[in-house]
Amino acid sequence: MGCGKLPQAAVNFPAPAASFTMEVDDLALVEKARAGDAEAFRALVVRYQRKVFAVALGIVKDPDLAWDVAQDSFVRAHQHLSGFKGESAFSTWLFRIATHIAIDAVRRERASKKDDLEDVDEAALEEGADGILATSLGSNPQQTVLRKELQEKMTEALAELPPAHRTILVLREVEGLSYEELSEQLGIPKGTVMSRLFHARKKMQARLRAYAGLVPRPGRSTGEEGAGS
Amino acid sequence: MKECALYAPMLGAHPGELSTDEEARLNAHLAFCDACQGRLADLSATEGMLAEALSRAAARRDFTDFADGVMARIPASAWRTGAPEKAGGLRSLKAFLGRHKVLAVVSAVAPALAAAALFLFVERSGGPEPASPGVEVTSETLSPVVLDTSDGPVILMSDSEGT
Repeated sequence: MGCGKLPQAAVNFPAPAASFTMEVDDLALVEKARAGDAEAFRALVVRYQRKVFAVALGIVKDPDLAWDVAQDSFVRAHQHLSGFKGESAFSTWLFRIATHIAIDAVRRERASKKDDLEDVDEAALEEGADGILATSLGSNPQQTVLRKELQEKMTEALAELPPAHRTILVLREVEGLSYEELSEQLGIPKGTVMSRLFHARKKMQARLRAYAGLVPRPGRSTGEEGAGS
Repeated sequence: MKECALYAPMLGAHPGELSTDEEARLNAHLAFCDACQGRLADLSATEGMLAEALSRAAARRDFTDFADGVMARIPASAWRTGAPEKAGGLRSLKAFLGRHKVLAVVSAVAPALAAAALFLFVERSGGPEPASPGVEVTSETLSPVVLDTSDGPVILMSDSEGT
């Protein structure tokens, strides 16, 4: 069962880099907006509207609801501009607001059920298809046709996941939150963050494999619809 | 397999998110576990795809009136008085026309079409009738005199009783 050790760089994903110039500009706009400059606030809205919408869409999955969530996020951000201390990037602060509103929207949409998806048991590890995606996507994933096809199916696959899994995937892979930030924002321990992420990715990959025709399509999950926390 | 249940969730950690000890144990596990190597390879192969997919979904959406919708929900008292309201009104019009492109085009073209139609109507009907050289103008007290000039007939009114 022995195999070569993977390069360390492959183990760790790089965290998304922030644009220093953009952040400085954001702070200037925030200051102007605080002083009552509507155009400055509008500029912030236009700058981040698509990304906030993308985050909301990932969590609530319905485009119209995501639109409302995104607009609510900016309105709420304006209401609390005076509370923004600049300790984090404005975008991070804004996405955090959007995430909270999106999670609330999901909670309102669905009756809350206990999230019992965290334990990593052996059954979850026995699908035996690990590595198929990597093999099919090849060594140059940016250029494969399959990757482009799968990307088109990605939002569909995401929408099939339970809200808690959608939420953590979006926070991690779109917003780039760390384990610690996820733990704080979702109110769960780091270990739960890791296991929830594992399950979320596992389900997402299973659906992608099915879309790619690599394995039979998984049945719709039952009893796994828990509200994001 | 029991070890996988412990280490698989650690796959995909960012630098510094695992303790030194966790990282060492994970790497030791990876060195002999084909399944976890496959999981890691899948993670790497699909890295960034979700963000790209959502970004594309957002890019397909028309955001023309998004900012206006946000600004409309913020009380006017939040802004300094003056320009924003006016600018907002102009933007609202632009946004409206952006959303209703057919209406905008029709509005722009309609005056020109109306002018062209009027021109054609006047052309076909021959325009106002010129005064006929044979016109007769009578009056109890005035005696008209019609002169033919190079510019057409000219009617001169003169008081016959006064002459």
